[in-house]
Amino acid sequence: MTDSAHGAEQEAQAIVVTSRSIAAGGTIPRDYTADGRNISPPLTWSGVPPTARQLALVVEDPDAGNPPPFVHWILCNIPPTAGGVPEAISIDPAGPMPREIAGAIQGVSGFRRPIYRGPAPPPGRPHHYHFIVYAFDADLGLKPGLSRADLAAAMRGHVIGQGELVAIYERKAP
Amino acid sequence: MTFISRRDLLMRAAAIGAVGRPFQGRHADGDRADPRDDLGDSEGVALPSREPQAREPLEHLTAEEADLLDAVVARLIPADANGPGAREAHAAHYIDRALGGALAASRPAYASGLAALDRYSRSSRGKKFTELAPIDQDSVLIDVETGAATGFAGGSAAFFALVLNHTHQGTFGDPYYGGNANFVGWDLIGYPGIRTMVTAADQQKLERNELKTNHKSAYDYESFVKSSARAGDAHEGGSPRRSSRAGAKAGA
Repeated sequence: MTDSAHGAEQEAQAIVVTSRSIAAGGTIPRDYTADGRNISPPLTWSGVPPTARQLALVVEDPDAGNPPPFVHWILCNIPPTAGGVPEAISIDPAGPMPREIAGAIQGVSGFRRPIYRGPAPPPGRPHHYHFIVYAFDADLGLKPGLSRADLAAAMRGHVIGQGELVAIYERKAP
Repeated sequence: MTFISRRDLLMRAAAIGAVGRPFQGRHADGDRADPRDDLGDSEGVALPSREPQAREPLEHLTAEEADLLDAVVARLIPADANGPGAREAHAAHYIDRALGGALAASRPAYASGLAALDRYSRSSRGKKFTELAPIDQDSVLIDVETGAATGFAGGSAAFFALVLNHTHQGTFGDPYYGGNANFVGWDLIGYPGIRTMVTAADQQKLERNELKTNHKSAYDYESFVKSSARAGDAHEGGSPRRSSRAGAKAGA
């Protein structure tokens, strides 16, 4: 997370997070924002510790929120064998997860829905969006609809790997 | 994806259901169709909408606005395994009618909001809202609901809240006002209908979930009509007009 909420008690192994659609430090394409189709972007990662039991993905914007960050997506219970998430996870909460992340669950975002909702910043300046992947050394028993605070509490002391992709998005004033 | 939970339906309907005026509605000649004509089998489940549905003459919305609004309400309370939704209840018709009366102050908001919705749909998804697949319509409406959509005067969330509120009214209010067609909204939540008297036996049946709906509007009762709505209520052909004091209750 973009603060120290995970309370890592040990040095987390670096996970490399990339996307074929989003360049590190670049502008997020419209399709993954509220100005476009607002679908979730494809992500891949590597460097997950072999002892990992679960992975989680959090997308958040530390330039917004009261208090920051503003959460755009929480995806948990990702199998440790997964090497990423495909594009356009269904916005139907009852819909099945893609095979490669079968069993994954979603938490509630700042938009109060358990689905991905992309950048929709107020006009004025670029916001930074962090796509953060965590590896945990235990099954955290997370339930659908959990909040960022729930995740932060559950993951405390269990983070053995972490990495992120950061990109920006800006809306111009009309 | 739905925009309202069944629990919300029950809570809101409890607040709306008693709102009423004399029902003469669409079957003004007294030849009211058997409600089950549109309700499918006697078990009251799996009630697909009939397409295309004949639309009542528009009173205030343009045809394009009405088509768009109908598409919106159909996603806010969609027909599903629980029964018909807001489209089948003719919630858009209720809104169209009420925009000339109790909801007249909202007419400008509908004009600008529906136009903004269509612009946003075209700019973000590349199509008119009415041409999108239902799941993509839901995605658009989520953006409108959360305030993420652009181009709405006063913010998209305010427009969403306005339409959702009126969709509830049009789905679960008394059919007299032009919505809740064939009582589909009340059937959806298991509301047994307006009753002027509830016997002990009725109460016991209700508690056992065995009390059958009577499909009666408040204004199917002569005493209610005389006491609260008939005086000064000038309307033709059974269509409720917007001048009476009862009309002001539609937005309650």
